[in-house]
Amino acid sequence: MHTPTRRTVLASLAGLASLRLAEPAVAAPQPGLLRYGLAAWPPNLRPWVSTGAAAGTVKMLLHRRLLGFDDKGELRGELAREWKLDADGAWVFTLNTDALFHNGEAFTSADVKWTIEQVAAERSTAYYRAQMQQIDRIETPDAATVRLVMKEPLATVPQWFTNYNMAIAWHGSPDVNDPVGCGPYAIAAQERGTFLELRAAPHYWRPGLPKTRTLRMVIYADENLRLAALQSGDVDMIEYVPWSGMAAVEADPNLRLLTQNGPFMDLLFNGTRPPFNDPRVRRACAHAVKREDIVRVAFFGRGAPLEGVPIVEGTPWWDAELSKGWNYDPDRARALLAEAGFPNGFSTTLLSTSQFGMHQSTAEIVQQYLAAVGIQAELKLTDWSTRVSLGIRGQYDIAVHGVSADFNDPDGLTVVLDTSLSAAHGRSFGVQAPRTVALLAKGRAEFDQAKRVEIYKDMQRAALEEVPMVGLAWRAQGYAMQASLQGFANLPGALSTSSGALLEFTGLG
Amino acid sequence: MLWLLRRLGTSLLLMWVVATIVFMALHVVPGDPAEVLLSTGGTSPDAYAVAELRTQLGLDLPLSVQYGRFLAGLTRGDLGVSLVDDYPVAQEIMLRLPRTLELILAGSLIAVAIGLPTGTLAAVRHGGGFDRGAGAVAAVLQSVPVFVLGTLLILVFAQWLRWMPAGGFVPASQGLGQHLLLLSLPALAVGKGLAAVVYRMTRASVLDALSRDHVRTARAKGLTPRRVLARHVVRNALSPVATVLGLHMGALLGGTVLVEYVFNWPGLSTPLLRAVEARDYPMVVGIILTVSALFLLINLAMDFLYAALDPRILRS
Repeated sequence: MHTPTRRTVLASLAGLASLRLAEPAVAAPQPGLLRYGLAAWPPNLRPWVSTGAAAGTVKMLLHRRLLGFDDKGELRGELAREWKLDADGAWVFTLNTDALFHNGEAFTSADVKWTIEQVAAERSTAYYRAQMQQIDRIETPDAATVRLVMKEPLATVPQWFTNYNMAIAWHGSPDVNDPVGCGPYAIAAQERGTFLELRAAPHYWRPGLPKTRTLRMVIYADENLRLAALQSGDVDMIEYVPWSGMAAVEADPNLRLLTQNGPFMDLLFNGTRPPFNDPRVRRACAHAVKREDIVRVAFFGRGAPLEGVPIVEGTPWWDAELSKGWNYDPDRARALLAEAGFPNGFSTTLLSTSQFGMHQSTAEIVQQYLAAVGIQAELKLTDWSTRVSLGIRGQYDIAVHGVSADFNDPDGLTVVLDTSLSAAHGRSFGVQAPRTVALLAKGRAEFDQAKRVEIYKDMQRAALEEVPMVGLAWRAQGYAMQASLQGFANLPGALSTSSGALLEFTGLG
Repeated sequence: MLWLLRRLGTSLLLMWVVATIVFMALHVVPGDPAEVLLSTGGTSPDAYAVAELRTQLGLDLPLSVQYGRFLAGLTRGDLGVSLVDDYPVAQEIMLRLPRTLELILAGSLIAVAIGLPTGTLAAVRHGGGFDRGAGAVAAVLQSVPVFVLGTLLILVFAQWLRWMPAGGFVPASQGLGQHLLLLSLPALAVGKGLAAVVYRMTRASVLDALSRDHVRTARAKGLTPRRVLARHVVRNALSPVATVLGLHMGALLGGTVLVEYVFNWPGLSTPLLRAVEARDYPMVVGIILTVSALFLLINLAMDFLYAALDPRILRS
């Protein structure tokens, strides 16, 4: 019998190893299963508390809102079939009573009433608490009708009920932090911080939906690994595609990239002390920065300069001239500084976070351009938690921030522009912008569309002068997926982060 | 026995100091769990909501009261619950600690499997081409940061060759093959630096042992070179290697943070990073206490191993 030598054994092992490795070790796409790379673990899934867009994506699948958006970003009914303003100025929602909760209970107007009451409750920490407290009375004349009588006339009430923090839950839920929902999916398995497995809810009432029975959401906090997971076939779809990798996705015929310019970067100011209590100084900052460089460097060209109030192009409120109201004009910036009493500029601080590369890169570019007009800004880079804390307490001079409006209606910018609201890290601190705030309120109370358009154009003019914030750059919000995946759309503008709701319609073709 | 008790007492004292420092440090640095939680994603929370959440989480209580409650819980073995989602800290640690330990163990095995034979061979053939080549490779392995190597491994094996998944975790109970496949790249990244250390230490120790009188005597007695190496050289050279290995295994606990993040390996690092970001005090303190206890345990175990390898230590 032939005795194997060391050489033959090694050669055989190498041969076996190459055979094993020649087969791809990654799982192939499976019908009925969608593997989704989620950018962050949802801190919690309490339906009305704002805990970020990743949590929002999951919540939109576990729950339903009264209204949602179609793939063009137009309002469409979810739990409400129709909505209108009645003759007395109350908002009336006609409900879809076919809907069933995950426990089999029928959806009725009592659930809407209960939800609103929970959100507006005295000890609530809900994101829409203040808004729901503007409802004077909730009337439920029958199981299919809800009538909201407002304390003041408000045109944007339907928009509130599209937010992913406004899920409608079953009124008999034993735990208000984890109430029973009526979304297309229910949680089948999960491991904290690692994955969530959603399975089609047994009582979901929309025929043929959800398109995919099992949705496995794996957390990839690192954006490059998230992209690598898609490219290697570990997942079928990812959110928050890194800007640096978008070109590679576009170049791959097996993948598809959907982007929208929705979120934006902006500059915030501490207006409680000189020099930023002077709108001319704030406007000087607005004219000092060349936005193209931010788009090119921080976002790899995936975005657009933002030289005005962040109104989404293509909406009725957008105006070409106003959108250039803070155009790059260093001479104008220097003139404004001189007019404000700072002909030689001044020294200040610029707060940002090093935790997110885009914030840091944006701040570094802003710093250079401010220096070019005489404003020497010392960069203060902190972790995100510290950035939030310093922002809320007004412990900064200028700050770089990145955010998205609540919705595409200009009223969705209230969270950014209304500096009369309580202190927040995403709003300028103590900046006086009374005309902007008043026009926001006026627009909110106006129901005639043509008049609203004019009011919000006036609001933009006021904001360009009062400068409650400075727009810097739109950034592309991207979803990437296997080319065979169908049914998903990236919603336009500020709605991009709400696109996760469309996973209900998404499946491998 | 007295030695053991003294070691245990010191360890407990050290852990209390660690817990107190971490607890106080987290409360001193800027950042509030309620503010951070409600600001996730850049949204601007209502000031009332933040205040209410602080009350619900007990963050409005004086620091001394919070510390007292925390210590009282510790004495009962209760690490508390996460401020973010009420999840029990101990449960999170129990789930993830074995994965971190597995990664460290696998990394150490790789380090020993590479470093020990290479170091021995380099010493035996010192000054030759193999010795010089191995030294150069060790220098590269030691100097390349783990996140660079990790990213390169993903790029080559997951994105270009598509032989491996880019990262993640499958429990061994759901597929041993896939589990080991997913473990291989992070373990390599964790073990590469230690492999270089083991290589250097082994080479130096074997070189030292080779020049000893007893080795010369063994050769003079007519033992084969392989037998001399195995019985009289490597065995004597193992003690310092084991000590270095033990010390570095403790340090690997820190090194896994980046590797787990890069490869999406769900060990202790991810919840630790997330908890620090969220200022989730109970989770941070719980994990750091666990890591500290592990570090002390590894050191204790290495003391025993060192004594076992060289009985003269016990006698002295």
